[in-house]
Amino acid sequence: MKGWLPFAGIGLLAALAGVALWLAGRQAAPPAPPPGPVEVSAAAIQSARFADGDGNARMLGQFAGKVLVVNFWATWCTPCREEMPGFVKLQSQWQGRGVQFVGIAQDDPAKVAAFGRELGINYPLWHGEAEVMDLSRRLGNRLGVLPHTVLLDPEGRVIDTRIGKFDEATLDSRLSAITGK
Amino acid sequence: MNPLLAFLAASLAGAALAAPADKPLDPNLAFRPSATLVYARSTVGGSSERHGIDIEYRIAPGYYLYRNRLRFQVSPATLPMGDPELPPGLEIDDPFVGKSPIFRERVTIHLPFAASVVQPGRYVVKIVAQGCAEDRLCYSPFPQEVALTIPAGYRTFGAPPGALPTPGSPPR
Repeated sequence: MKGWLPFAGIGLLAALAGVALWLAGRQAAPPAPPPGPVEVSAAAIQSARFADGDGNARMLGQFAGKVLVVNFWATWCTPCREEMPGFVKLQSQWQGRGVQFVGIAQDDPAKVAAFGRELGINYPLWHGEAEVMDLSRRLGNRLGVLPHTVLLDPEGRVIDTRIGKFDEATLDSRLSAITGK
Repeated sequence: MNPLLAFLAASLAGAALAAPADKPLDPNLAFRPSATLVYARSTVGGSSERHGIDIEYRIAPGYYLYRNRLRFQVSPATLPMGDPELPPGLEIDDPFVGKSPIFRERVTIHLPFAASVVQPGRYVVKIVAQGCAEDRLCYSPFPQEVALTIPAGYRTFGAPPGALPTPGSPPR
């Protein structure tokens, strides 16, 4: 008659463990799905061409020698815009320590410029056409979602990739770990 | 209750709660379109008819599609189409973009035929869509495709009711 008690007890423990894991997940940083494989060389990353606010051609290679935080975003993407004030703060904190932020959007250049002015973005905002999301996908963003942030070492090699919002404190810690500063 | 069943039920409940519900879905799972050939004779006003393709989207909970960024193209282009008829949608107020209509859960968009006679055959509706997972991330414009067959004998405007084949019926 009481033979079911051990089974029910184990089941209850399993349920409690599940609830605990669920609660832990809710309190954790924003979801960061595992990125796909990087399918682009450091040389190709550095030579990919985009345009700045004046329409001039720009390449990530111009920042060779620095740790780069490359953020793929769009003006219509609310989560992208939510994380950018944190990037502005971090760019100020890290600019003298060999770290450079760059935002790249497949978007209307006028909207990108307006957004940059409105929020006082203190790092370059570049734009492009399909090549923007093409590079993002080859950097492991297989679902093509935004925001997508990639950390590159001074030679242009991928150190870290984040799909979804990058929490300011987490990124600050990552930069400390990467630069040793 | 059977003890084994009790154990399994409790374990599954725990596992379900622990599952990574926050992991973003593939856009083709978050936004699932299907196509249906439709014709309807309106009873309001007497004689108006509605012929075309209905695109029904099933949208996963917590996800939304941008209404004004949906694009449709029917291939081959021999099928003359009118402008898509989209429901107004829900409005979200974005501090930078302004008010944007969106679709959640389920929506049907009508793509009307713009000719009285349409060529039977297999057609593909090519869609470009854009959407977001609430407060988490957005999907850059992504392509989708849905196929449908227009059976032989399909007539649009002016056809007597009895002449209209059942949608999806095999070509005669």
